[in-house]
Amino acid sequence: MDVEKLRAILAALQGTEVTRLDWTNGQERLTLRMGHPPAPVTALHAVPAGQPAPAALPTPPQVTPVAPAASSAAAAAAPAARDDTFTVNSPFVGTFYRSASPDNPPFVEVGQVVKKGQVLCIVEAMKLMNEIEAEQPGRLVDSLIQNGSPVEYGEPLFRFEPV
Amino acid sequence: MFHKILIANRAEIALRIIRAARELGIETVAVHSTADANSLHVKFADESLCIGPPPSKESYLNIPAILSAAEVSGADAIHPGYGFLSENAEFAEMVQHSGLGWIGPRPEMIRMMGNKVRAKEAMRDAGLPQLPGSDGVVRDERELTRLAEKVGFPVILKAASGGGGRGMKIVREREQLAQMYRTASAEALAAFGNGDMYVERYVERPRHIEIQIVADERGDVVHFGERECSVQRRHQKMLEESPSPALNEKLRERMGRVAVEAMKKIRYNNVGTIEFLLDERGEFFFMEMNTRIQVEHPVTEAVTGIDLLKEQIRLAAGEELGRTQKSIALRGHAIELRINAEDPVTFAPSPGLITAYHAPGGLGVRVDSVAYEQYRVLPFYDSMVAKMIVTADSRPAAIMRARRALQEYVVEGIKTNIPFHKRLLQFEPFVQGRYDTRTVERLLAEAAPAAG
Repeated sequence: MDVEKLRAILAALQGTEVTRLDWTNGQERLTLRMGHPPAPVTALHAVPAGQPAPAALPTPPQVTPVAPAASSAAAAAAPAARDDTFTVNSPFVGTFYRSASPDNPPFVEVGQVVKKGQVLCIVEAMKLMNEIEAEQPGRLVDSLIQNGSPVEYGEPLFRFEPV
Repeated sequence: MFHKILIANRAEIALRIIRAARELGIETVAVHSTADANSLHVKFADESLCIGPPPSKESYLNIPAILSAAEVSGADAIHPGYGFLSENAEFAEMVQHSGLGWIGPRPEMIRMMGNKVRAKEAMRDAGLPQLPGSDGVVRDERELTRLAEKVGFPVILKAASGGGGRGMKIVREREQLAQMYRTASAEALAAFGNGDMYVERYVERPRHIEIQIVADERGDVVHFGERECSVQRRHQKMLEESPSPALNEKLRERMGRVAVEAMKKIRYNNVGTIEFLLDERGEFFFMEMNTRIQVEHPVTEAVTGIDLLKEQIRLAAGEELGRTQKSIALRGHAIELRINAEDPVTFAPSPGLITAYHAPGGLGVRVDSVAYEQYRVLPFYDSMVAKMIVTADSRPAAIMRARRALQEYVVEGIKTNIPFHKRLLQFEPFVQGRYDTRTVERLLAEAAPAAG
């Protein structure tokens, strides 16, 4: 779904009584809820972890497998444990939320095993609550962003280890 | 006044906006693609946010990402720079609807000038002279003959469906008119499936002269003189200067006056540039209007002594113009050279790592650039690496200064057009100030001198 189309849909719904729209088109799925800002509205996939960065980049932003030579004390203490961890990165700039609303528990907790397609968090952009789903299964090792903080495009949100 | 400006652009113009904002005591937010993480505009802004991957469509043209960045950073205004979203009326509207300040003309101005036909009509109604010709499609040979005689030879026949130089015929003699019209129309029919033709005055040696407009939100308007941008290759400007050697005081006054009157009529706001075509006889015609700050704004800053970016921000915040036309005096002469990462002979882009870099300095030399040693010129964006602006008391002194400064300019690791500029600054028609938009073609047709 491109931005033009999304904007057209939003424009068409402005001023109507519609509070919820489910749209399916092939692989694309869009859920909109109008007038309830805290509710999750769209489901999007995170920036694929480990996606190779273009060779010309001075600082490849999304080479995400953690290097064996990670310099932290934890890595030094357990050298073999983190070799194959991977991160899930923010697909766009916005505000990061670990739960659907302040009263709800976080979508995922450290140590929890997630399935492919499971919702991990919300990144709010332009008043839209975008659910970020797991691209692959894994066990959550670390949640890297404080709830309610701004995140950039490509910024690591979670670190997982394969299961 | 604004507190925090988000800059929806990259590279040198983003840095230029940061400099103006900082001098006004305003905080800045840079946005950037993953490829630009090491750009100086990111380093020198108060805050920065990565908004997408390298392709412009997904980063610098990504409206939701930019508006989202403005929201999470708490910016209260957006400066679009030039290119990218700067002349996108819809974006300007969305910025305003988000409750943010838009540092540029009102969306309706952008929309009007963005449509060539509407812009010409509006400017004709506002009193700007138009290139004489048929207002629409020529009906038949009789009408064509009548129009051509009224317009005066030479004339140019243009296919209504043509473009990019295709489907055009120059007619120099009345006797050739009917025959060439039939041929051109038949060719247009074969090439574009439409034989409709326009006719217009043909200017053999056109010069590109533009007037810098500065206006406030209340309708007060002044002009900051002209810039000559006739040094161009395939419609890409390479060098600009102010004042133009083609204008005398009387013509400058007249062009400025009609431009300001037209802007008052349409109630233009903020900064903008009206482009005119100037013919051999000193007649000028409206071409188009750019509703944004331009690449070549520094030559105007050099001769007026006024910071155009600060002016633009101040006016967008609603401050009064507070200047009279009389208070704007042009002093000295300024020339800007665009330094591009490209082959100086073939003009093929030459992106890559800059392995050594030394920018010229000294009295009257300004370099606007984000280049430094180990900076990588990226293949995703335009090839301009720097703008070198020289200022001196007179045009000959400015040319000498530009030659001197180029001698000091060192860029290694990539190819640049510096050798082309060195030739241009020695090319007699340019040195004499007798050049037009086809002069670069003539320079390039001459055998290139031996390397060195």
